[in-house]
Amino acid sequence: MAEMDPCSIGPGPAGLLPPSAASCGVVLPRKGEGLVEGRIVGEQAALEVMARELLTRKHPTVFPGPLVLWDWRDGVSPKAAAVLELAEEIPGVQIIPMPDYRPIYPKIDPEAVINPCHPNLTIWHNKIEVCVFVGVHCHYANITLRMIRAGTNCYTVTLCHSAGHEDSMASLPFCGAEQVRALTGTIRRLKRQGLRPLHGEARGIRLTGAQQAVQEGLVWQHGDGA
Amino acid sequence: MDGAGNQRVVTPEYMFFEAPRTRSYITGSEAANEAVRRANVDIAIAYPITPQSETMQQVGELYGEGYLKDYYRAEDEVGAFSAISGASRTGVRCLTASSGPGLMRGLEVIASWPGHRLPLVFLIMCRAINAPLSIQPDNLELGYMLLTGNIVLHAENQQDFFDYTLAGFVISEKCEVTLPVAVAVDGFFVTHARGWVEMPSAELKLPGRDGYSEAVPMIDNENPPIRIARDAPIQKSNFISYQMHAAWQQEVHAAQERARPWVARYLDELIEVTNPEAETMIVASGSAVSQSREALRRAEEMGTKLGLIKIKSLRPFPREELRQACRNAKHIIVPEFNCAGWLNREVRATLYGCADLHIADGPRVFGGITMPTEMILEWACPGKQGR
Amino acid sequence: MALRTLQVAPGFMRFMPKEYQDLVENGPFGRQVKLSDVGTFKEILEEHPMCEGCAMAFFIRLALMGLPNPEHTIMVGTAGCGRMALSQAAIPFVYGNYCDTNGVATGLKRGLAIRFPEQDKDVVVMAGDGGIADIGFSQVMHSWFRKEKFTTVMLDNEVYGNTGGQESGMTCRGTMVKMAPRGKQFDKIDMLGLARTAGVAYIARLTPANPSRVVSTIRKAVLVARKIGPSYVQVYTSCNIEYSIPADKVLDDARQVEKERYGYLEIVSEEAGAYLESVAAEGGEGR
Ligand SMILES: Cc1ncc(C[n+]2csc(CCOP(=O)(O)OP(=O)(O)O)c2C)c(N)n1
Ligand code: SF4
Repeated sequence: MAEMDPCSIGPGPAGLLPPSAASCGVVLPRKGEGLVEGRIVGEQAALEVMARELLTRKHPTVFPGPLVLWDWRDGVSPKAAAVLELAEEIPGVQIIPMPDYRPIYPKIDPEAVINPCHPNLTIWHNKIEVCVFVGVHCHYANITLRMIRAGTNCYTVTLCHSAGHEDSMASLPFCGAEQVRALTGTIRRLKRQGLRPLHGEARGIRLTGAQQAVQEGLVWQHGDGA
Repeated sequence: MDGAGNQRVVTPEYMFFEAPRTRSYITGSEAANEAVRRANVDIAIAYPITPQSETMQQVGELYGEGYLKDYYRAEDEVGAFSAISGASRTGVRCLTASSGPGLMRGLEVIASWPGHRLPLVFLIMCRAINAPLSIQPDNLELGYMLLTGNIVLHAENQQDFFDYTLAGFVISEKCEVTLPVAVAVDGFFVTHARGWVEMPSAELKLPGRDGYSEAVPMIDNENPPIRIARDAPIQKSNFISYQMHAAWQQEVHAAQERARPWVARYLDELIEVTNPEAETMIVASGSAVSQSREALRRAEEMGTKLGLIKIKSLRPFPREELRQACRNAKHIIVPEFNCAGWLNREVRATLYGCADLHIADGPRVFGGITMPTEMILEWACPGKQGR
Repeated sequence: MALRTLQVAPGFMRFMPKEYQDLVENGPFGRQVKLSDVGTFKEILEEHPMCEGCAMAFFIRLALMGLPNPEHTIMVGTAGCGRMALSQAAIPFVYGNYCDTNGVATGLKRGLAIRFPEQDKDVVVMAGDGGIADIGFSQVMHSWFRKEKFTTVMLDNEVYGNTGGQESGMTCRGTMVKMAPRGKQFDKIDMLGLARTAGVAYIARLTPANPSRVVSTIRKAVLVARKIGPSYVQVYTSCNIEYSIPADKVLDDARQVEKERYGYLEIVSEEAGAYLESVAAEGGEGR
């Protein structure tokens, strides 16, 4: 029998229920390493890939999770600031939060949240082809990433506070504010070196329809105009 | 009394690899208890059953001496396993234990721990489960454990029971693992018999559990999100809910995979091989390994070289390791202490199509007797060994 | 400090969904809200997937208003209808196996006591009549015998609602429901009597007919469980589906059942009574 090859973990859709990357033999990176499409690389190499994908794919989106959205302990706000700074460097970016993990009933508003029980509703609706997860507890990140890989063509980047994620296409473990800033720095450098972002020179974070409505005090009903 | 207050916290690395050890001649039950003493356990909850009771009574004494912060005898196993799941969700270090019938009674709860991502250590002192009632050693219940998503380690002797229990807490609480670890041992043969155990000083203990660095949020209202439906019940029947449940189940098994490097590190690999070049290999776990060692010795006296593969970790199962270790083998036997032959099935499934070899469907004993060395030899060297 | 989990990290508020902006700015956390304030604050439970007009959902919403310190409270539920609303509430919710609520709550309470000796953490079980009186009976009784300090609330719809209307131990004698083809053959289980025998410190039986009484009963039950001992609240929450009650007649039914057979009953131990008086005397609500 042939030896099992480490899976190549590229963007999907990978099918109804692809096996988890871990069960295909993909292993987690150590500190100072990163994971790109199933293979261990150096941290800087991972950052290069992340930066390039974020600049060159459609509708880049940052998905901040509870650990960075809620200012629950010291150290969160510098990291949160670093995440916002990162977003600012990605033309055309949106920020859609994952504020909690419950299955949302009666239905979710895909312009307001992403949810680990049905993440693809948000990915599909907003036509997101590259995203960054940061501050999500690993269990929920892993099931989310697996469903996104199964059902969408979105390139998933993870800046994990812990051991990293095999099912994301590019993952960095043990990320604090410093690693987030390192990604921002890499994006800036690539742009300086002439990489033309897909979404041009657009600056600032785009608000989704839901976020705009909330800001303007309007009653937003998902499905009305979307 | 403040037993724990007089202990010094050391890293797992120091505890397992560097701390000087001294030898004691103790029972398996005592060995587990000594591991618990050094493990900085917060709470233990259990319901008594032979042969588990010895250890859990002693742990009660540890509580009396101040090594644990809480302890009680539950109303039954379902109550014990439910309560320990509640405690684990709050981020404290948790211990429970049972044997055969008690394990079977609590199986619904045991099978729900991994999906709830609950770090804890579950000691299993194996005992017969079938009717008619018997308290004899027999490890049929481990066959059920293999399907639950728990990590399952199988100790051969008193020393293993000490080492695996201590390591179990550390493996269980690793963020990328965040799973319960069951540490099994064959009842009576190990729990009630003495053996030499090398242990680091009782003045040392592991660092406490850090619940905030695990795969799921603690239930304590001190960490986000404020809405924690951690064990979210999926209430609709549609493709999305099927997929979510499936991805969740996959995650439990992925977490088992991620435990491999830690099991390998703290248990010194998932298997141990003796005589790797032998054509006949004995594959065994638990106390059947000890009997097999004796068979190897006797066979050698008769001029036959047998090999032995000790399986330390049943979940994750050492698939690649076993394939490697069997690449020269022509004949494999799997001695077991149960009538179902669950290890035999694992071995067959793992080696299927990998090598041109014959796997014997035995030998097995059950109902309480020790496996005679002669029996292993009969299966390993057919024709050579008359009684 | 639990309220830190309710602060949005700087710069992120404008990306938060409206319901979270409201919860953060105007939720019932860290302050006392009253039933008469409804409409002026963001409730812990709003949208949920329970049947329209369900009395159980109405009760749960009121009960959550009664929690003295929602920011330090954990709800425990199980299989049955109530979990559908509880899992949507802005408060931690634990959900395990059918029958395990009072074991899980025991472990939660003890674990929290180890980690937070200086901070009261309230644990409240909320489960159906089947979950409490049938399959969970042993764990409920033993948690009471052990005097575990948490509250048990039975959502008594007198039937297994979630599995389509089978008999429960709390169904009234003679009622024809599924799996009781000749009508139920024995009386409604006397859980209040059992609670009293087990030494539960605060026991109450009520219906949601009087909303402010729901709020105050839950508050008392949680306060007693915090300081004195176990508390038990049994509430009639009709199942409009299985008992064919039109959604707009649910409260009429509750009033009628209260009048005819359910009543309002409070059994308070001496110690619990003295404690509740001392709390009232301080003019506080146990904050
Ligand atoms: C161990 C086990 N047995 C049976 C069931 C099936 N079950 C789920 S909910 C339920 C009845 C719920 O009735 P009750 O507790 O009264 O709550 P209600 O739905 O009426 O609110 C049953 C029998 C289960 N989930 N688990
Ligand atoms: S089935 Fe009955 S108890 Fe359950 S939600 Fe519907 S009306 Fe309420």
